[in-house]
Amino acid sequence: MTAKKWIVSALIAALLLPSGEIYGSSPQAADFASPAAPASEPAPAPYESYNYNYWEEATPMPAAYLPGRSITGKELGVGDFVEPADLHISESGLLYVLDSGNQRIVRIDGDLNEAEVISSFDNEGKPDGFANPSGIFTDAEERIYVADTDHRRVVVLSPEGKLIRIIQNPQSEVLPQGFQFVPLKVTVDEAGRVFVVARGVYEGIMQFDEQGDFIGYIGTIKVKRNYIDYFWRLVSTKAQMAQMALFIPTEFSNLDIDHKGFVYATNIDVGSKEPIKRLNPSGEDVLKRFGYYDVAGDIYYRRTTGPSKFVDIKVLGDGMYSALDSTQGRVFTYDENGNLLYIYGGRGNQLGLFKTPVAVERMGERQFVLDRGKGSVVMFEPTEFGLNVNAAVRLHYRGEDAEAEAYWNRVLELNGNYDIAYIGIGKARLMRKQNKEALEYFKLGMDRKNYSVAYKRYRREVMKEHFGTVMSVLLTAALAFAAYRIARRWKQRGKRGHEAGLS
Amino acid sequence: MKQDYLKFPLHVIVHPFDGFWDMKYEQKGRLRVALAIVALLILAMIVQKQFSGFLVNFNDPRRMNSLSEIVFVLFPFFLWCTANWSVTTLMGGEGKFRDIVMATSYALVPMVLIYPPMTLASRFMVQEETAFYYLLNTVAALWFLGLLFVGIMTVHQYTPSKTVLTMILTVIVMGIIVFLGTLIFSMLQQIYEFIANIYRELIFRV
Repeated sequence: MTAKKWIVSALIAALLLPSGEIYGSSPQAADFASPAAPASEPAPAPYESYNYNYWEEATPMPAAYLPGRSITGKELGVGDFVEPADLHISESGLLYVLDSGNQRIVRIDGDLNEAEVISSFDNEGKPDGFANPSGIFTDAEERIYVADTDHRRVVVLSPEGKLIRIIQNPQSEVLPQGFQFVPLKVTVDEAGRVFVVARGVYEGIMQFDEQGDFIGYIGTIKVKRNYIDYFWRLVSTKAQMAQMALFIPTEFSNLDIDHKGFVYATNIDVGSKEPIKRLNPSGEDVLKRFGYYDVAGDIYYRRTTGPSKFVDIKVLGDGMYSALDSTQGRVFTYDENGNLLYIYGGRGNQLGLFKTPVAVERMGERQFVLDRGKGSVVMFEPTEFGLNVNAAVRLHYRGEDAEAEAYWNRVLELNGNYDIAYIGIGKARLMRKQNKEALEYFKLGMDRKNYSVAYKRYRREVMKEHFGTVMSVLLTAALAFAAYRIARRWKQRGKRGHEAGLS
Repeated sequence: MKQDYLKFPLHVIVHPFDGFWDMKYEQKGRLRVALAIVALLILAMIVQKQFSGFLVNFNDPRRMNSLSEIVFVLFPFFLWCTANWSVTTLMGGEGKFRDIVMATSYALVPMVLIYPPMTLASRFMVQEETAFYYLLNTVAALWFLGLLFVGIMTVHQYTPSKTVLTMILTVIVMGIIVFLGTLIFSMLQQIYEFIANIYRELIFRV
């Protein structure tokens, strides 16, 4: 009996120790770990966790996120969500569910227990409401921006639900006659500029100033000419041409903004290699795509399922972002350089699988996915693996590679196939001038660019070290060779002299 | 004797016009040497795939297979020789099959000479220097093509334009041979399947 107790307590200690080591070692670790410290044991993953390696093979890996609980309107006492269209988490940690079917906003507190409903507001003395709204956003002052789709306007409300402003009927020379403003998704930057994805607008994202006046478009998607299509157009008749699909750019599907004011946008351009864009203030795509493969979700997919179709994107800070794929119901998280960090989610009925996922949000290191089909919000808790990856990526982004190394080492203990961890350790070693070790890690991570840098330094180091030896060996050899030649010539001359003497 | 084995191939690659003439009309070429050159090329290519530096080696080590490397060299080599023989026999070429094999393999010598040292050097290269690796490998390939051209021209006693024509035709004939080969192969497979099915039927029913 006592032996059994001992074993159990030793096991518990073994389970607790590594995590204690990791989170206790540096003070910075606390702010990564604390918001997501799992209170209860999360359910095992209902989906298969995988990632793509350098050879573009899907390799199994530990789950980075596990479903914690699901939140429904019924549980919160506000009645079931009906076709909820969007979810937003404000900076102060409140969840805003845009319950489109019920034409209301449900605000849930950070503990996910209490909810309040905003379904109407006072518009110049008259009560007003929403009609099939599809996008919601809150700014730093907790003002609520709602894309009120069927009313063709964007409504700005105060935190108390009082009307502040209505953006509607944009006026500009660039807009065509009889332009219908049908906003779908909305985002606001720190200066109060409003970015709107609207239906039927191919010119890009609509941008409004803080007064609600239309400024212009940003981030037009370029139409790529396909030479085969071009050829068919060339040889087809006018009647045939009229039946063909037009070459128009696809619309954006969703957007988010980072603290630097860069807009992250997704588009559902099927087969595009760049479905995720990061737009700078002048509207150019500046997303880094330095990973092994395209920032486009799944590399391999069944032809019947089709490629990933991104419907939402969330900036996680420190260069990371998560994108939600509606085809397979998966969330893909990338780092600043476009490396695929982890994938979670799937389609199905279990907790953690989705029917029609429409929005992904984050609160600290937790992530929330809104499922329109099930009418619920699913909370995902990071696992130890996920926490370590996040911490390491964040530290690396801030340039603290040395601190990141401990986290990468733990990541490798949990998953030896994680290429990015090898590269991360390599970078840390390179900073510490351990060129030879760095070399090996870069080789394991298949990072040729950094390998070259490390090798250059290592080679110089070795050459410096052995310069004296090599030069003395070479000089000795040269001297010996010269001596040999002289001796031989002497001998030959002597021989010739001897022969001459004979004759 | 030793002259013909070691020095002559090296002489051919720098003096192709004299060299290929001597190979054919002075009986300086040796079939054994020719086959040894092909064997060395196979070796050089395997070594390159396995041991070239990380920065230039894009092969998946798990899929590296020496046997398929052998086939990868031998098959095109003999396919080329056969196709060239078929074409030139009809087009008044003077070369025998043996001459074609020797001319082709002697032309491969620059590759055998350049690949191994470059494989070694690539292990000590950084990214910027890999350009030299690719440059020298390209030089080896172009040198091979030049020698092949001169070799075929000399062996068959053709004019340059006719040589180019026959070389293009040879490539086309190579394609035809592969096509016919696959055709025969798949037909044989069908026949085999047919017989095997009859046999199976008989076993179960009789």
